[in-house]
Amino acid sequence: MGAYSVGIDAGSTYTKGVLLDAQRTIVGTAVQMTGVNIVAAANNVYRAVLQEAGVAEGDVGCLVGTGYGRYNIKFGHVQITEISCHAKGASFLFPATHTVLDMGGQDTKAIRTNERGEVVDFCMNDKCAAGTGRFIEGSARALGLSLKEVGDLSLRSNRAVQVSSTCAVFAESETLELLAWGHSLEDILYGVHSSIATRAIGLLQRVGIEPELAFTGGVSLNRGMVRCLEEQLGVKLNTSERTMFCGAIGAALFGLERMEQEVAAPPVRA
Amino acid sequence: MFIGYINVPGDIGPTAQALEAKVPKAGFDEAKRLQGTLLKRYLESLWAGAAAGRKFAYTFVMGNPIELLSAFGIVPVFPEVTCLNISYRGGAPGLIAASEEEGYSTDACGYVKMGVGAALKGGQTPIGNIPRPDILLLNYSGCQIYIHWWEQLHYLTGAPIYTVDVPYIREYDGRVPPHDIDYVVGQLKELIPDLEKATGSPFDEEALREAIDRSREAWDLWRQCLETGTLRPTPFDAYFESIYYMSPITLLRGTAECVDFYRFLLDELHRRHEAGVGPTKDEKFRIIFEGVPNYPYFKSFWDLFKKWDARCVASTYPKVAGMVDSGSFRLDPGRPLESLAEYMIHAYCNLNMIGRVGLLERYVKDYQADGMIIHAIKSCRSFSMGHGDIREHFAKELDVPTLLIESDHVDPRYYSEAQMRNRVDAFFETLALRKRR
Repeated sequence: MGAYSVGIDAGSTYTKGVLLDAQRTIVGTAVQMTGVNIVAAANNVYRAVLQEAGVAEGDVGCLVGTGYGRYNIKFGHVQITEISCHAKGASFLFPATHTVLDMGGQDTKAIRTNERGEVVDFCMNDKCAAGTGRFIEGSARALGLSLKEVGDLSLRSNRAVQVSSTCAVFAESETLELLAWGHSLEDILYGVHSSIATRAIGLLQRVGIEPELAFTGGVSLNRGMVRCLEEQLGVKLNTSERTMFCGAIGAALFGLERMEQEVAAPPVRA
Repeated sequence: MFIGYINVPGDIGPTAQALEAKVPKAGFDEAKRLQGTLLKRYLESLWAGAAAGRKFAYTFVMGNPIELLSAFGIVPVFPEVTCLNISYRGGAPGLIAASEEEGYSTDACGYVKMGVGAALKGGQTPIGNIPRPDILLLNYSGCQIYIHWWEQLHYLTGAPIYTVDVPYIREYDGRVPPHDIDYVVGQLKELIPDLEKATGSPFDEEALREAIDRSREAWDLWRQCLETGTLRPTPFDAYFESIYYMSPITLLRGTAECVDFYRFLLDELHRRHEAGVGPTKDEKFRIIFEGVPNYPYFKSFWDLFKKWDARCVASTYPKVAGMVDSGSFRLDPGRPLESLAEYMIHAYCNLNMIGRVGLLERYVKDYQADGMIIHAIKSCRSFSMGHGDIREHFAKELDVPTLLIESDHVDPRYYSEAQMRNRVDAFFETLALRKRR
């Protein structure tokens, strides 16, 4: 049996993959847009992490699927929700984590964890994309900007414009209306990020905020979002270039645990 | 590369193969079939009654005096029950659209919109023709929207509204002052001459006593059925299966068929327990359920829980027809109107929030639950009000894992299976990890 574990997080916007060796070292990461073919995206990401690390498929002992598309990853062994995986991944990257905010393309999750990175409680946004990455995406699209640009531009402002819409669809038209009223792009974008931060903090309060806080998911790469959350929370968030991969990291860690368990108690073969 | 699909001891969730494996047929599942037959017969009785020129009274599930109606030969019609059955069969959108075309908001209650939609279509519904009301008995006044529902039906059908104003249970310990009971009894006494006038039949008190006595027997049996949820493993699902089982106590109270049904069900549940049979392959999680179910996706909603071998051991929804397991009422043929009034007051939705929380706390303890699921619905703010606070109370103050999910009871537009599954799966993963600790 192979010694490596793969975690694939098929999210609504991006599919992320992580390859861990038996010592829990990240030896490969990959990401691509999920698009319409979840299976193809998952497969591509799987091949990419193997290639990056120069590991053969036969050396993989376990593949765990997570994210919305997890049940489409039929070539995986287990499916675990991204809630459990983000908690585990965040705790791996920042061991003092007790609260996780995962902001993805269409979901925002507030998760309270214990010292082992296990979920104690969680809350998610309502069946609505307000307060998620989609809200930023809508505003970026309306302004003809990339996701990276909107975060960076918002940092140039110190005066957020109030964005009153809570709807990701209406946020697009509101953004254009604010431009027409003469507000600067930077101030509007600061307002957009502030509005999302307020909603996310509402979720965090429902599970209870206990330090340290890790900010994960695709939106954790957005520096404007980090600034708004830290301003409103008054505490520092743990983020890194790897927090986007937290779900996949957690999935791969579950895979390693499963492999260790198997050695201890071999299952009946299917 | 496969290392086998079978679950290993450390897994926190079912593997792909475990998911594909069919849950073996429970067997011992005759009561549900019998319930289906009784429901069909009830609907047929509406059509036969219409042909025979009988009088129909529309009434609400919560706290109605159908025993009194039956003493006059009046056939009760429950628009809530017809709506949920239509929704269960996928027929809600047409009736909801009919109301929305009339100007009802998308945010208005789905039951009301379906009921008004059915009236606008002259009673034509996907489950058959629902007779026009001769009487609109406004017996549940805890919901403002319901009052307007009956008002709207009055405008559409011309049927008179008879109101029995049922006071809310205001005391936190659930006590009801004697003057509240007197108030309802007084209104029931005033209702009798109205019903005599509407039917042309004199009040038959003996018929009322007999109906009350049969109701009492059915309630006693149903209470015993519900209490089998304390067994480990529980022989039935006190939420998803209760949705079927609660139908006779709602529709057929006061009849011999109703008593026979619960005697049969109690026997079946005991047989299930002795044979070790239940609604899922195994009982891995014992949960408490609060809130109204999702009818348009009922079976796939249930599957989200079955997959985890989760069984509901106690729930509040079946108590909307009467909080029989709290010992708060007991029908008595010796004091028919008084005991009927006590029953009418003790509907779950009539209970204040502190009382509801107390009941749920008792369920968690008495039924040895691992966690609680709260299903809030967009349609009904009176039922779903406070659900966020209840979740926080149980999760933070009592350390009872609690999940709050939201959709609707009849309107399929508010249900998103992928999002629902994500929340439910994550909740059971958390419970699995907690059990491992």
